[in-house]
Amino acid sequence: MNPIHLLYIEDDPEIGTWVNENLQDRGYRVTWLKTGERALDYADTCRLAILDVMLPGLDGFTVGQRLKKQHPNLPVLMLSARASIDDKLQGLEFADDYLTKPFHPDELAARIEVLLRRSGNASPGPLKLQHLLVHERENLIINQDTGEEILLTGKQFHIFNYLLRHLGQIMTKEQIYEAVWGEPYLEGDKTLMVHIRHLREKIERDPASPEIIETIRGIGYRVRA
Amino acid sequence: MKFMKQSPLQRFRTSLLSRYVLIIATALVFIPVLMPASFLASWAVNRMLILGEQEEYQLPYGSAHDLEKMWHEQAHALAGALPEEIDARLTELKAKYPDASLFWVDGEGSTQLQLPVQTELPEQWSAEDTIAFMKSGFNADPYTVVALIGGSQEAQQGFMVFELPRSYLTPQGRPSDSRFYGLFMALIFGIFILLSYVFFRGIRRRLLRLEAAMTRVGENGLPSPTDEGRPDEIGRLEQAFNRMVHQLEEGRQRERKEEELRKNLIANLSHDLRTPLTVLGSHLYSMGKEPLSPQGRQSLSLMEAKLTDLDHLIDHLLSYNLLTSGKYALSIELQDVHRIVRESAAAWYPVWEKTGMAVDISLPEEPLRWTVDTQGFRRVLDNLFQNVVRHAGSGEYVGIHTARWKGRAALIIADHGPGLNAASTAKGAGLGLAIVELLLREMGLRLDAESSTEGTRFVIYPAS
Repeated sequence: MNPIHLLYIEDDPEIGTWVNENLQDRGYRVTWLKTGERALDYADTCRLAILDVMLPGLDGFTVGQRLKKQHPNLPVLMLSARASIDDKLQGLEFADDYLTKPFHPDELAARIEVLLRRSGNASPGPLKLQHLLVHERENLIINQDTGEEILLTGKQFHIFNYLLRHLGQIMTKEQIYEAVWGEPYLEGDKTLMVHIRHLREKIERDPASPEIIETIRGIGYRVRA
Repeated sequence: MKFMKQSPLQRFRTSLLSRYVLIIATALVFIPVLMPASFLASWAVNRMLILGEQEEYQLPYGSAHDLEKMWHEQAHALAGALPEEIDARLTELKAKYPDASLFWVDGEGSTQLQLPVQTELPEQWSAEDTIAFMKSGFNADPYTVVALIGGSQEAQQGFMVFELPRSYLTPQGRPSDSRFYGLFMALIFGIFILLSYVFFRGIRRRLLRLEAAMTRVGENGLPSPTDEGRPDEIGRLEQAFNRMVHQLEEGRQRERKEEELRKNLIANLSHDLRTPLTVLGSHLYSMGKEPLSPQGRQSLSLMEAKLTDLDHLIDHLLSYNLLTSGKYALSIELQDVHRIVRESAAAWYPVWEKTGMAVDISLPEEPLRWTVDTQGFRRVLDNLFQNVVRHAGSGEYVGIHTARWKGRAALIIADHGPGLNAASTAKGAGLGLAIVELLLREMGLRLDAESSTEGTRFVIYPAS
């Protein structure tokens, strides 16, 4: 099985060496460039790009925009020491995530994982959640207790899929509703709650005390990895 | 820039005041001329009207003098005539003067033929009756002519009377002289009023145009220069306004340049400070992988904590610098604050979870609509949440809810920490809270803090 290929652009040698080694330790294949000029050459093979902003020559924003223009589906993570809101907003206009230095390598790895999962490039094998085995590519959910496939309705599947793509993240009611229904969330709307209840009845061992879809009171829902 | 110095004389000539004084002076000078001129004009018009309308106003029976002469002649001609002849003659005359009343009285004083019959006339005339009649007829309406028949008293034939309403003897329907006079005066005054009106309307129009130019805001957020008219007071005002706009534009440009410089400086500073911190962090991380004594591990985690503190401090310092210099551009919109709070809390939840804090969030379903900048408000929440984690972690509680505060809907963030006055908070919380207050003030919101050893409550509520 081929390791996932990441493109990493960083001009600082110390940070670059460290991140490069750390990511390789985590099983990724990393192409580390000191400048952004040749970034596009690797865009075809890599699954994700990590870009510094302040680079000699082309700056990270420009490189990111060029990459996105040619490969709209390639996730781009900005990793910058520029932490002002203006910089973040400018970066997030095209990039999928913006992490500021200094950072913890675990956080970088977690964000890479989230982005890869969101773009459908996560590690192939099935995802194991409690008693469920989820084959994301095949849209197949197997209950390991009974060995049977769990069939979800369209909306239930969309909600579950959305939470899986943001594995480990808490999503608010508004975010889920707007992503699944594609229309603005109306206050006091019970639709989402009803769908979640039905979804739990199908996938949870005990829907009264759910283990897979966790309710974060006052905020929203989360599927923990 | 077209703005020339004017000599006092020039200035007086082009002044609005001098132009108005000119109008008033003309009006004053014209009053002595105006009156005789009006008289003259009205007389001339009257003349014209009389000449022109003489035919139209010709008297139908001739003048009073003609009538009197005619009546005496007729009376004279009837000398020695029989009563029947007199009757016949009067009937003929009645036909000629249909609007006149005719009658005659014979030598014995009894009333004969009346055309038409008048009831108030006596049947038999005494000398007093005659005198009374003559008296009442004198200069009265109707116009009365009395003639002795036969031309003299000796004829003993009595008298005959011709009465005609005076309206037939005075010309009708022509306006009198004084009305023309008034008309001319009014006309001249009207012209002066019109002149004044036109003068002031001109001023008003230019002032309104200037006002519009001042109110209208161009693309750059500044008023645009206006056209400069006549170089009088208003013209000079327009010039001054244009100069001001120009200066504003220059100022704005300079400001933008400074803003750009400052932003770049801060961005570079941020980069230059954070890069060594990142390197430091990377080495601390690598050291963590080495076998270390428990003491070494403790030092390492302490260093990591301080590194994080330093990172936040840099962040706060730079933000504070941008904020206080007004270089932080907020885009304020009406938003559902609950939604922002939920999203922010979702991001912080894992941190709270990790530090073992109980999270109590109860936000109503109804939106709480405030005019805020999303990023700015997130920053406020981040700072407050960070504050809770760093300084109130011992309370193991964070509560987010809404309540009424000073009569308004308010957002409350509560913890069970040792309070703001505790020693640990004084060190780092100051700058973060200062940023919170600055940002909230920009968004028209206020922050109240209630703190005791039991915990702290931060209350965010609209200023008005």
